[in-house]
Amino acid sequence: MTTKFALSLVNRRDFLLTTAAATVMAGVSMPKITFAADKVVKIGFLAPLTGEVAAWGKPGLDGCSIWADWVNADGGIKIGDDAYKVEFVAYDDEYDPGKARTGAVKLIKEDGVKFVMMLGGDPWPGVSPVSDKEKMLFSTLLPSDLTPETKLLVAPCEVHPIYNVTGVEWLAENKPDLKTAVIVAQDDSLGKPSVATYLAAFEAAGIKVLGDPIFFDPATTDFAPIMSKMLALKPDIICLDTCYADYVHPLTEQAFQQGFKGQMISCTADFYPKMVEKTSKEFMEGFIFQFPDFDDPALNAEHVNFRKPNDFFQEYVKRFGEGEWSAVSWEYASIMDLWSDAAGRAGTTDPEKVLEAMQVGGTGKQAFGEAKWWGKELFGIDNALVGLWPVVVIEDGKARIKEFKSIPAWWDKHKALMIKHMEALNQMYYQRS
Amino acid sequence: MTVELLLQTIVNATYAASYMALIAVGLVLIFGVMGVINFAHGELYMAGAYVIVALYAGSGVPFFLAVFAGLIFVGLLGLLMEYGLFRPLRENPLGGLIASIGFLLILQTVAVLGFGIRMRHVPPATQDTIVFMDGVVLTYQRLYVIVATVILLTALWLFLRKSKFGWALRACAQDREAAALQGISINQTARLAMFIGAALAGVAGALTAPLVAPTPFMGHAVIITAFIIIIVGGIGSLGGAVLAAILYAFVYTFVTTIYDGTLANIVGLLLMLIVLIVKPTGLFGAKERA
Repeated sequence: MTTKFALSLVNRRDFLLTTAAATVMAGVSMPKITFAADKVVKIGFLAPLTGEVAAWGKPGLDGCSIWADWVNADGGIKIGDDAYKVEFVAYDDEYDPGKARTGAVKLIKEDGVKFVMMLGGDPWPGVSPVSDKEKMLFSTLLPSDLTPETKLLVAPCEVHPIYNVTGVEWLAENKPDLKTAVIVAQDDSLGKPSVATYLAAFEAAGIKVLGDPIFFDPATTDFAPIMSKMLALKPDIICLDTCYADYVHPLTEQAFQQGFKGQMISCTADFYPKMVEKTSKEFMEGFIFQFPDFDDPALNAEHVNFRKPNDFFQEYVKRFGEGEWSAVSWEYASIMDLWSDAAGRAGTTDPEKVLEAMQVGGTGKQAFGEAKWWGKELFGIDNALVGLWPVVVIEDGKARIKEFKSIPAWWDKHKALMIKHMEALNQMYYQRS
Repeated sequence: MTVELLLQTIVNATYAASYMALIAVGLVLIFGVMGVINFAHGELYMAGAYVIVALYAGSGVPFFLAVFAGLIFVGLLGLLMEYGLFRPLRENPLGGLIASIGFLLILQTVAVLGFGIRMRHVPPATQDTIVFMDGVVLTYQRLYVIVATVILLTALWLFLRKSKFGWALRACAQDREAAALQGISINQTARLAMFIGAALAGVAGALTAPLVAPTPFMGHAVIITAFIIIIVGGIGSLGGAVLAAILYAFVYTFVTTIYDGTLANIVGLLLMLIVLIVKPTGLFGAKERA
């Protein structure tokens, strides 16, 4: 019935003319590149999506979904003469080297990804041989994975834990009356280099660390004894190092419950509104950490390279909810900015050529500003992109950037201290197995 | 160690002993009466915590009402396990153990699907604290756990010693066939043991939920600790489980405070090994049965 009705209104000649005109118009208006609908570039996301470390994996994948939607809506990324839609293929490594290795093989061999983003840390040793064999470019958020042999591993976003020096430096400049600190960390590949970094930063700032750093078993569930031990030393500052969110929260609650009145500093404070809820605004006032909410007006500064940070944050909150923002929500997306830019300039997705394009001139556009490829002295290879990093302070229940500080500037003044403490904890690249 | 730190450590250890005792006693009761090692006991603890997440944190139900709901809900989960898993496998203890592992995975998956993979935040019912002296503090939230443990374990003791149902439970624990010959219903005592054992784990999870930030996998650490405790106390001994929980909690907490948590884990396992070598039945295994 519908067909008959249509044919009664349009005769054959008109139909052919209209169709031909539409085809010509379409041909004229089509760009010279093949559009995203035709070609897809797959990117591997190999990170913990479940378990205790999931807070540094899953929110990053969520951020990537926003990044991909925005990029694909704009026509994809242009590589050579073609535009490609970006598709993320995720694999949950559960922060386990064996599972990470399986995931890496699957992503490369079965899914055909052109680049793999990882959290890094404990899973990296499982993946390293796969990277070597397959000549695949990987990224890590933890440059402590870097060694002279990891030529296809880059840390282009965060230089964990080195940026922690900026928080301590800011603290010393702004609260010079605080002179003693205690450090606590989980006993693993994230905790130890971070402890070395904080030890160096406190020493550089003239702050005395009381007792030995306290390492706890990652299986710990009751943090009261640990906090009691720390408070018995009567520190001005409690440093929570790079504890996972599952530990930062109970440690902070214990500090509150056991009556600590001093300063707290931590690498991260993921889901900090919950900490404010479980303690108080007054207790959390002045809590220093290193990862801003991206609705922060300071991120609109000219030197910040992350695109539309405030919009990104709003979209993230809209999709995933209030309080779901974490330290890594933006990080993998910012790595994708660098990779897509480099792939575009290289005109190929070939890992080695993309890496070459990424590192051309020895500098790059890190999320918070112009940065340099660095790390030879600390990691044995210049595969970490380092520059400015924000110091974030909780004020009236909300995280706010107080200042962007230069990591290279600190390094130039105090690198001997950093190397000393890294060596003491067997964290230098030539000491790590 | 200063006096303040010593006293604070005693306070910390008392809290730890309390929730460990609740969990371990439930595990012992189930094993004593039914002869099954319930590997899903840690997940029953987790289920109790998630009842608080859903009712108290999520729906605004008053805390103690939510704790009571947790007790009932997890007790009913225990009944479900008894009816669906352990009864059909009553003559096959290994089968029961494996079935409990399967149920553990199901509970974890349900928690993941229902509440997500990440830790959930439960605000404390109160932020009030008791300050004994400068540097020695006990929060009311922890006090609730200690008081509830004392009340529940006393009630359980009275129930086992003074009621006919309690005698039936103890009779089954001592010799199930002889108890059946005396007219005691094995099914009924098994149901009762499962309900009470599971409910104790559930109430422990519910009461500690604001203190631990529940995750679907929170049962892992708990079940290992509970096994150490019941081995040290003597498998099947309720009194032994309570005393072993106190011993373990004090040793663990003091070693953590003086040295570190990793060493505390080693010392806890050494404690178990020493007891197994010196007295393989556990501290109270041979003398006292449920």
